[in-house]
Order: sequence, then structure tokens, then C-alpha cells
Amino acid sequence: MVLNTMSQTVVLGVIGSDAHVVGITILEQAFSAAGFDVVNLGVQTSQEEFAEAAVAHDAGAVLVSSLYGHAEQDCQGFHQVLEEAGVDAATYIGGNLAVGQDDFEETRATFEALGFDRVFDSETDPEEAIAALRDDLGLTTTDTERATISS
Amino acid sequence: MIRDERIPSDELRRIDEEIRSDWPTGADVDFEEAIAYHESLPERKRFADVLESADKPLLQPRAGVPRLDDQIELLEYLHGEGKADLLPTTIDSYTRDNEYEKAQQGLEKARETGDDTLNGFPAVNHGVEGCRELIEAIDAPIEVRHGTPDARLLAAITFAGGFQSFEGGPISYNIPYTKRHGLEETIERWQFVDRLAGAYTQRGVRINREPFGPLTGTLVPPSIAIAIGIVEGQLAATQGVRSITLGYGQVGNVVQDVAALNALRDLANEYLPDEVVVTTVFHEWMGGFPPDEARANGVISLGGMTAAIAQPDKVITKSPQEFQGVPTMQANAAGLRTTRQVIDMAIEQNIGIDGIVEEQDLIERETRCLMDAIFTHGDGDVVQGTIKAFDSGALDVPFAPSDSAKGAILPARDDDGRVRIFEWADLEMDDDIKEIHKARLSQRADTEGREQSFRMVADDVDAISDGKLIGRP
Repeated sequence: MVLNTMSQTVVLGVIGSDAHVVGITILEQAFSAAGFDVVNLGVQTSQEEFAEAAVAHDAGAVLVSSLYGHAEQDCQGFHQVLEEAGVDAATYIGGNLAVGQDDFEETRATFEALGFDRVFDSETDPEEAIAALRDDLGLTTTDTERATISS
Repeated sequence: MIRDERIPSDELRRIDEEIRSDWPTGADVDFEEAIAYHESLPERKRFADVLESADKPLLQPRAGVPRLDDQIELLEYLHGEGKADLLPTTIDSYTRDNEYEKAQQGLEKARETGDDTLNGFPAVNHGVEGCRELIEAIDAPIEVRHGTPDARLLAAITFAGGFQSFEGGPISYNIPYTKRHGLEETIERWQFVDRLAGAYTQRGVRINREPFGPLTGTLVPPSIAIAIGIVEGQLAATQGVRSITLGYGQVGNVVQDVAALNALRDLANEYLPDEVVVTTVFHEWMGGFPPDEARANGVISLGGMTAAIAQPDKVITKSPQEFQGVPTMQANAAGLRTTRQVIDMAIEQNIGIDGIVEEQDLIERETRCLMDAIFTHGDGDVVQGTIKAFDSGALDVPFAPSDSAKGAILPARDDDGRVRIFEWADLEMDDDIKEIHKARLSQRADTEGREQSFRMVADDVDAISDGKLIGRP
């Protein structure tokens, strides 16, 4: 998938009432170091706040994080809200997306059905998401890379 | 502009009446009658006295379920099978958000179906009478543990309900727990909670108050946790609280953890007024746990070992099922027994480790820098100083979700696994201390043959659940 927009701006946040902040703090650092412009909305972010920020910053991607198990409920209608706001961005979700569900493929299917382009589990390294986003936005490493990430 | 001043009696009464009308159970609170009730409780249920007179670390788990009968059964089990010395009642998330109507629905559903539809005990909905049934059923002191930015009604009901210990504070239940509560607002609300605890104290019923030491629970540098604990202790003391337990969460490096607990005890006694009895609490590892009960028991045991060396007054235990979330009562009791076994084997060995004194000295110097910054920012007033220091970033907490903190500093482990500061942002600290951190982190980078970067931070966050202390490549 190559989107029309070449925006390198990534909107990032934790959806719903969730206050788990460590994951997005690391993602913010990782995406910034990889050369993306990151707008971190922080924890406890509503669907509307994601949409407003994506429009305001002409985002190329909207990255949603959720760790407290209510992601499915929090994401109902999310893509409709984005569409109505006129957002044309890749959408990813990652974290602990379901309570007590150990079959991740089922979880992936649930969230793809909700409209997400990619779904990641809580074990995913930031590099994997960065590589995926470069692919999806049609960017090469040199387009974005300002700093070396070694792992 | 709020300041660190005691709320006058008439103002205390006015707020008390106002908040008690937030939910019908508030009407059952009668201060004079509650004093008499507390006086009727046996000595072994008096939290402050039991904690302060203990001759070895007391153990306390976390536990809360919606229904009263289930909560009694759970605490009886943890007391009997887990040999917990002090018991908790953990409050559900709706109550923490002051959503008593939702908590009521959850409680009614739990009563109908028998399922745990809430993640804790909705004490406001159970009311004074429900709380007292719990206090009477359990033969040990019980603390209210929660995470509530506005805990005024919860405090009014649980104090009247016979609880004599109350966790939290205006910084520690704001900065790590919520995005949008302003610090000025939470300080004002907690001044009431502390003032109410102080009113009971004045009548001879000492309510123990415990700021939440671990904060965001993720690689928090000791000096930051200690400084914030001292500030919350000072605010509580101003309102008349006389029994204060300051906390610290295990980072996993034994030298740093022992040094931090020693520094916490020494600095708290120095900074808090003489009339306050200070005790300390050590939280077993609050970060991500291994997804394996055997390995989780290893993490818990290292916490027990650290407690045996540092000898805090209380230890909050973890369960081997931490990875999965809320543990079964059996697993919860197992965490208590594992901890007790290690402490009792190690505590009489008088174990000394090289480096503790030097590390303690460093932690104390760092803490004084932060305390001086708060004092200066507030022109001598700790309330204004705290608000302004968080606002400027002179005081900060790593991974803080709150808009009231910058959350701009980043920690990383050094080559020994001690938590240092990798990104200082605007944190107020003497340059020579920053140089020490920089040199230690540089040593780690050399060992690992990589640049210092946020990648180390990310690796460190996952390290313990991955089976090691330091997130090496």
C-alpha cells in the first residue's frame, strides 16, 4: 500500500481511559530518531482527538496504543470518525489488545475488521513498526533516517 | 492561590458536608460516632501502632474484589494462608474516577452473577456499614489502597468505616495515574483528605497515611521518588497527620535499592517535623514481570532479599501471576510466603555490601538538589514550589502521563544495573552529579559497543520480563 500523501508526520496516542504511557514514550523516541515528525497525544486520548490532530498535522499515519484490555470497545467507530474528519492516513494499533485472549491471529482479525491497516502485539519492537510504516508510506530509509538506531 | 497551610475547622466542616452529598452513603458519616467506633477497635487492628511497633518488616499484599463476602473471604485467606501482617482493600477503577453510579451497576451485576465485574472493592457504595463489617471480620489492620485523584468522599467513608490507613497523595495519585487533573486541584483535594486524617489524629485515632512511592513504576530514579514522598509527607504533616509511611519501588539492583531505602528513611526523618512518626515501605518490582511463575518467584525473592538487608517497616508483595494481571488468592498468598521465607532466612545474617554508603550519599545529594529546587520555586512554600517546579520541569517523573508534568526525562541502567538519568531535560541537578550519571552510562555503552540512546531505555523497560536486569543487546 502506498498512500498519496508523503507526510512523514505520525500521530501517536493511547486510546480510551488507558493511562499506560511507557510504550508510547518509547515509540515517540523511536519514530523521532528514525526521522518522523511525531505528534504524541499522550494517554487517555479520545477518537475525536486523534482525528483532530491527524487533520491539523496532515498526518501520514495514526498509531493507536492500548494496554488495559478495552481496545475493541474504545475503537468501535474509530475509522468512521477519521473518515468523516477527512483523514487519509495509515492506521496501526498495538499493545495488549484483548483481556485473556491468547490467540493473537483472532485479535488481529478483529482489529483489521475494525479498519486498522496493521495490528501489533505487545512484544513488537519499535523497529518493526518503523519498517512497516516506511513500506506503507513508500519511504526509503534515507528519506527519514537522521540518527542511527542500533540494537 | 493555595499554599501549604492547614485548612481551618469551619472550612473542613463545609467541604465535608459538601462532598458527603455526592452519594447517598455519605449521609451515614458521623465524625463523633466514628471516633467512638475507632476507640472500640482492639489494639491489633490499629494500623499505625501495629506498623510502628513491629520488629521486622511486615508483609502486605494487594487485593480487592467487588462483593463484601468475597472481600472478607479473600482477606481471611491472605491473612491465614499467606500470613499477611497487614491487609489491603484495593478500590475499583470507577470509584477512583468518582463514577459511583457505574460502580453501583458493577456491584449489582457482581451480586447477581457472582462474577468480579469490578477490579476492586467499591467502598463508597458499600458505605460505612459495609466497611465496618469488613473491619470486624478481619483480625488485622487494613489499609485503603487505590489511585484516586479526588479521594475526599472515599476518605470520609472509609475513615468512618474503621480503616486506619490510606494510601496516595496529590502528586503520587495524579502524575502517574491520570492525564488531565491539574496539580493544584489534586493538592487542594488531598489537603482535605490529610486534614480529615489530622482531625481523627487530634482525637487520638491516628490515621496512617502512605504516599505512593513507586510512581510510574518504571525505572524511576530513587531521588525523584524520595523527593516526592517527602513533599507529600510534609503536606500531610501540615494538615495534622502524625503517622506517615514513605514508599520506594524496587529497581532490582540490590546496592541501589538498599541505599535508596536507607536514604529514604534518613531524609524523611530529617525533612519531616519531629512530631511525625515516619515508617518506610518497600514495593517489590512494579515493572513488567516474566510470563512464567517460576521466574516471577525469582523476581519476588530478590525483593525479599533486598528487604532483609534494608529492613523497611513494610513490604508490599507481588504474586507469581503478576504477568497475567489480577492473581488468584492462592498465587497472592504464595507471593507472601516466598517473600517471608527469604526475609526470615536472610534477616539475621547482617549482610553488608560494598558500595551502599557511596550510593546512598549520591541519592541524598540528588534528593537535596530537588528539594532545594522546590523550595526556591515556591519561595519557601512547598505547595507553590511543587506546582512551579513540575511546570518548569525542574521536578519531573519519567514516563509521566499527566499534563501536569513534563515527563521529559528518561532513565537508563548503568553497567551495574543501577538506574541513572539518560535524558535530563530541565530537571534541576548539580552539574557534577550529571557528570557521574553520564560517566556511568558511558561505561555501559562501551561495554555494549553501542551509542547511548533511547534504545537502551526501551531495552531496560523489557529486561526483567525478558529474564535479565540490564537490557543488553
